[in-house]
Amino acid sequence: MEELTRVWEWTLDVGGYHLVFNAMTIVMTLIIMALLILFGFYATRKTEYVPNPCQMVAEIFVQTFWNLTKDALDEDMAKKYFPLICSLFMFLLLSNWIGVLPHMNEPTKDLNTTLGLGIMGFCIAHYAGIKTKGFWTYAKEYFQPVFFMMPLNVIGELAKVISISFRLYGNIMGGSIIILVVTHLVYGLVLPPFLNGFFGLFVGTVQAFVFTMLTLVYISVQVK
Amino acid sequence: MAIDDLTWIHAASYFGAGVSVGFGAIGAALGEGYTAGQASDILSYRPRMSGEILKTMLVGQAVAETAGIFALVVSMLLMFGELKGHHALEAWAYVGAGLAAGLSAIGSGIGAGFPAGAACQALGRQPSASGQITLNMLIGSSITQTPCIFGLVIAFLLMFIDYGAKPYYPYWAAFLGAGLSTGLAAIGPGYGGGLVGAGACRSLARNPEAQRPITTAMLVGIGTTQSTAIYGFLISLILLFKSFPESTSYVPSFALLGAGLAMGFGGIGPGIGEGITGYYALDQVGRVPEEATLLTRTMLVGQAVSESTGIYSLVVALLLVLNA
Repeated sequence: MEELTRVWEWTLDVGGYHLVFNAMTIVMTLIIMALLILFGFYATRKTEYVPNPCQMVAEIFVQTFWNLTKDALDEDMAKKYFPLICSLFMFLLLSNWIGVLPHMNEPTKDLNTTLGLGIMGFCIAHYAGIKTKGFWTYAKEYFQPVFFMMPLNVIGELAKVISISFRLYGNIMGGSIIILVVTHLVYGLVLPPFLNGFFGLFVGTVQAFVFTMLTLVYISVQVK
Repeated sequence: MAIDDLTWIHAASYFGAGVSVGFGAIGAALGEGYTAGQASDILSYRPRMSGEILKTMLVGQAVAETAGIFALVVSMLLMFGELKGHHALEAWAYVGAGLAAGLSAIGSGIGAGFPAGAACQALGRQPSASGQITLNMLIGSSITQTPCIFGLVIAFLLMFIDYGAKPYYPYWAAFLGAGLSTGLAAIGPGYGGGLVGAGACRSLARNPEAQRPITTAMLVGIGTTQSTAIYGFLISLILLFKSFPESTSYVPSFALLGAGLAMGFGGIGPGIGEGITGYYALDQVGRVPEEATLLTRTMLVGQAVSESTGIYSLVVALLLVLNA
């Protein structure tokens, strides 16, 4: 069961600092980015009235997330934030699904990925809030309903980052641990494909969607 | 009678097995009973649809049963699995595993029954939308299992990782605290997540056209409801993987145990409260689907306030871990 705690690492000593890189996460993230760029290339290369499969999938993504973004934000703001929301979902979906393939690991199984994306969403939401409402209105909201609630409001905002990133990390990491342990226990017979289907494809899709929607709703809460 | 370490480990694994399946049996049974009750209730109005309603009831009950089965699996492993380790510390890991798997199954078992019961009612009200209702119920019930899956993960981590080299004090308390934290904190979110799913099924029966906003709002609602289960999971992971100095007194041990208890009990209330918020919000999404975004936003703000007590527990638990 030593696979449970194994981490691929590269270490690098630069100017007295001991840097540790999670090799697997970096490589898998790069692979996913390459796949997404390829997908984007093939989807938009020859756009036709009768779409080819790639273009059709892309159109479904764009249509669905354009509607969701437009409902949550105004039309003007939606134009600005829609590319972020749509590509975040496509990245997360592919990241969660790639673990189904043998010898592939989900980058979202690493807390660094999900925490990074969570902090990114947090920064974007607060940037949007400051930009639309102005700094003073934004800052005043932390002193609602009474001024001494300020520290609790700040902690509440920070807890959002923790919950959004640990939700994705916990589900994906938990799924992969359960698959690993159960596969070991049944000697790889019968069960693993179903587990991969449930934890990899179903939970992966739902959690990618939940992460994206929460990022969108956090932006929407800040700007309204 | 002198008792050696191996005997303690055996005793603890049997104790853990009993605790796991004992607690785990509570939730699933309650949820299934609720589903069957709702199904019987609606059958009296729609006797002609008995086949469809019975099928939905059985599928819903099967999903609710999952939580109990997870607890059963852990208790079987504790009874018949190959026991690792010869260190007395493993005994506490097995007790913690039993607590994590057993307690976490309570909430998800009850919770998964709510969408199933609401789906049976919804089928009777709106037979033409049976496809959407069943799909919505399946998604809602499966996502409700997430807190229980967290418990299972912590149980597996406690059972299958070799902790032999760690000092007995204060790690015994860290393992017990890890089990309690995830196990207890999963009760509320499991229950509450089910309520949100039930609201979505009711809403769908009212307005099957609005499937998309309802499913979106349901996923967001269940997601936020599970925040405290995630905090419990976070505290458990910290307790399992942070390195604590070997201590000679009981004080650091009890700080770690207290951290687990603080987060565990602190997670119950917010989970249920956020679930109630989500239930009422989701119930209305079907009535006014064009205002779904407004409802979702209000629901999130309300849930964030009701979650604040869970955040206090998280802060206290983190402080206790840091002071240990």
